[in-house]
Amino acid sequence: MDTSRRSLRPSTRTATRTVLALSAALTLSLTAACSSSSSGNGAANPAAAKSSAADALTTPTTLTFWTWVPSIQTTVDAFEKKYPNIKVNVVNAGQSAAEYTKLQTAIKAGSGAPDVAQIEYFALPQFALSKQVVDLTAYGAASLKSSYTPSAWNQVALQGGIYGYPQDTGPLTMFYRTDIFKSLGLTAPTTWDEFAADAAKIHAADPTHYITSIDPGDAGGVDSLIWQAGGKPYQTTGSTSVTVNLKDSGSAKFATLWTSLLSKKLVDPTPGWTTDWWKSMGSGKYAMWIAGAWAPGSLETTIAATKGKWAAAPVPQWTAGANASAENGGSSDAVVSTSTHKAAAAAFAAWLNSSTEGATSLNSIGLFPATTGLLDSSAFLDQTFPFFNGQKANQVFAASSKAVTAGWQYLPYQVYANSVFKDSVGQAITNGSDLSTALGSWQTAISQYGTQQGFTVANG
Amino acid sequence: MLFVSPFLLAFAFAIAAPLAYAAYLSLFRQGLVGGNMFVGLDNYRRALSDTLLHAGLIRVALFLAVQVPIMLGLALLAALALDSGRLRWAALFRIGIFIPYAVPGVVAALMWGYLYGPRFGLVHQIGTHLGLPLPDLLSHSWMLASLGNITTWEYTGYNMLILYAALRSVPYELYEAAEVDGAGEIRKAVSLKIPALRQALLLCTIFSIIGSFQLFNEPNVIQALAPGVISTNYTPNMYAFNLAFNGQEFNYSAAIAVVLGGITAVVAYAVQLWTNRQERAL
Repeated sequence: MDTSRRSLRPSTRTATRTVLALSAALTLSLTAACSSSSSGNGAANPAAAKSSAADALTTPTTLTFWTWVPSIQTTVDAFEKKYPNIKVNVVNAGQSAAEYTKLQTAIKAGSGAPDVAQIEYFALPQFALSKQVVDLTAYGAASLKSSYTPSAWNQVALQGGIYGYPQDTGPLTMFYRTDIFKSLGLTAPTTWDEFAADAAKIHAADPTHYITSIDPGDAGGVDSLIWQAGGKPYQTTGSTSVTVNLKDSGSAKFATLWTSLLSKKLVDPTPGWTTDWWKSMGSGKYAMWIAGAWAPGSLETTIAATKGKWAAAPVPQWTAGANASAENGGSSDAVVSTSTHKAAAAAFAAWLNSSTEGATSLNSIGLFPATTGLLDSSAFLDQTFPFFNGQKANQVFAASSKAVTAGWQYLPYQVYANSVFKDSVGQAITNGSDLSTALGSWQTAISQYGTQQGFTVANG
Repeated sequence: MLFVSPFLLAFAFAIAAPLAYAAYLSLFRQGLVGGNMFVGLDNYRRALSDTLLHAGLIRVALFLAVQVPIMLGLALLAALALDSGRLRWAALFRIGIFIPYAVPGVVAALMWGYLYGPRFGLVHQIGTHLGLPLPDLLSHSWMLASLGNITTWEYTGYNMLILYAALRSVPYELYEAAEVDGAGEIRKAVSLKIPALRQALLLCTIFSIIGSFQLFNEPNVIQALAPGVISTNYTPNMYAFNLAFNGQEFNYSAAIAVVLGGITAVVAYAVQLWTNRQERAL
C-alpha cells in the first residue's frame, strides 16, 4: 500500500495511524487534565501587523511545523534560505486524525504543541471553535484574500475570522481509462445520466468490471458528491448552533443515483487504498476514479504500468451543459494558540502558501495549488502530463477549481461526524440498501452528538 | 515491606493511579460548548441505556462463548500431544505453535486481512484454483469467525505453553503407577492429566475472558478493509476509543472503561467461583 502519496488525501483510516494515535494519546492524556487553559491569543493591532511580521522574520526564532506532506522540507529550506534568522523544525506527527488527536492533547496540556500545524479543511472549524488555532486577521491575513481561489479561501474564513492559510486543494475531477471507454465504443460521460448508462454497459460487457467503486469508509468522498450536486447539509448558524440536513435536494440526488447503482451492482462498494482496490485500479476492473486533483501523484506512483491510458475530465453534471464542481480534501496551515512566536509563525505560514516561490515549490512536490497566481499562470496551465498521455491536465483541474459550488460548510465537529459515517451510510453502501434512509440515520447520530456537546442542533 | 516496595511503587503509578484517574474523569462532562462540570453518575446512567455500547458487549460475549472454548480445546490437545512423548520433532511442533504469539497483534491482523482479501487474497486465490467458491470472509456474516480465527492463531501457542508447563509438574511416579495398573496414553490423559490441569485451565480461561472483552487490535485493523461491516462500536473498546479520540468525549469513554473493567472482573470471578464449587463437589 502506498502511504507517502496517500497523505495528500482526506482519509482518516489506516492501522498505523490509529496505533500511533493510540500510543500518543495514552502518553499524553495523563498530562492533559492537570494543565492550565490555553494562553491568550495575543491579538495584536491589525495596523501594526505588517511591521510586526517584518520584525518577526528578522528576530532569531525557532518554529515547529507539524505536517505530513512527504517532501515539504524542500519548500521549508527555501524559506530558511530567504529568512536565515528563522529556523523551522518539520515534524511528521502522523496524518489527519492521528495528528489532530496529538495536537488537541498537546494544546490542552499547554506544552508540546507546534507553532504551525497542517489541518484539513473539514477539521479546521473544530479547532477554530475551541480557539485552539489563532485568528490570523491580527497578522494581516485579510490582505492575502485575493491571492487565493474563492473555494480555498471560503474554507479558512470561518466564524468571523481567518483561521489558516490554504496549503492545497482538491477540485473534484473524473479520472478515466481512455482505453476501456474506447474499446466499448463509449465517450467519457458528461452527465450523471450518461454515467449510469455507461455503468450498465461496462458491467454488461464484463460482469467483473465496474465503472468505478465507492468507498464505504470515506465520508469525505460522499460529502464531495453531495456538494457537487448542490447540497449544503451542514450549516453553522451561530457560535453554538448548527443545522444538519442530509435530506436536502443535493443529498437526495446523490442518494437516488447511488442507491440505484449499488442495488444493481453496477458500482463496486470496495474500500479505497487497500491492496484489493489498487489491484482493481491497475488491472482495469474500474474504468474511472472520481477524486480530487491530488490524485495524479498517487496514480503515477502506485499503478505506473497504466501510464498513458488515463485522462482527466470534468465531473459528470446533474444538468446537461452545467458546470458544477466541489472540493475533495485539501489542507490549511494554522497557527496554534499555545505558540509563543505567533507573529513569526503567521509570517512563515503566509510565505509558505501565498508567496509565488512557496506556492510554486509546494506544487512541485505534488500539492495542487490554492493560489490564483499559480492557477492562472501559463507555465502551470500548459504543463503536459505523460501519465495522461500528454494531456494538459492542469487546465481541467483549474477549471474545476473555478467551478466549485459556493456555500459549502463543515460542522464544527466534522471529525466525529465523519468517523461514524461508516456505521450507517457505510453499511448501506456495503449492503446495497437505501442510502436515503442511511443518510437519515447518520444525521440522527450527528445531531445527537451535537446536542451532547452543547450545540443547538436544528434538523433542516 | 522493603522488598514489596518496588512492586507497590510500580503498582501505584502504573495501575492504581490511572484507574483512579479514569474513575475521577468519569464523574465530569466537558462538551465542545460550555465548560467542564461535575455530573455525578450521569455518564454511568448513559452507559446503562446506551444501545451502541450494549451491542458491542453482546458481540464480545458471543465471541467469548465460541472462540475461547475452541482455542483452549486446541491448546489442551497440543499440550497433551507434546506431553505424551510420542511426537516426532516435538521441539519444532512446540515452537511452531508458539511463534504466532511472538508476532505483534497489529501485524498479525494486517497479515490475515491481506490473506482474507475477497479478490486477490491468498485464501480466495487457492479457492479459485481448486474451483471452490469461497464466501467473502470479510462480509457481515463471516467477520466474527474471521476475527476468531486470527485470535485463535495468535494465542493457542501461549495457552498451550501454560498447560504444558503445568503438565510437566505432575510427578512422574503417578504415570508409572497408572501404567502398572494398565492405563494407556488416553486413559492417563483423561484420568490424570486433565484433572491436574484444572488450575492452569482456569488461569487460561480468565486470561481469555479478559482478552475477549478487551478485543481491539484485530477488528480495528480489519476495519480499514471492511468499514461497512466493522462499525465504530463493534467492540466496547473500539467504541470508547472513537468517542475519546474522534469525539473528544474523554469523560464518557472513561465511564465506559470503568464499566467494562467491572463486567470483566465479575465474569472472571464468576468463572472462578463456579470452578471452585465444582472442585469441592468432586
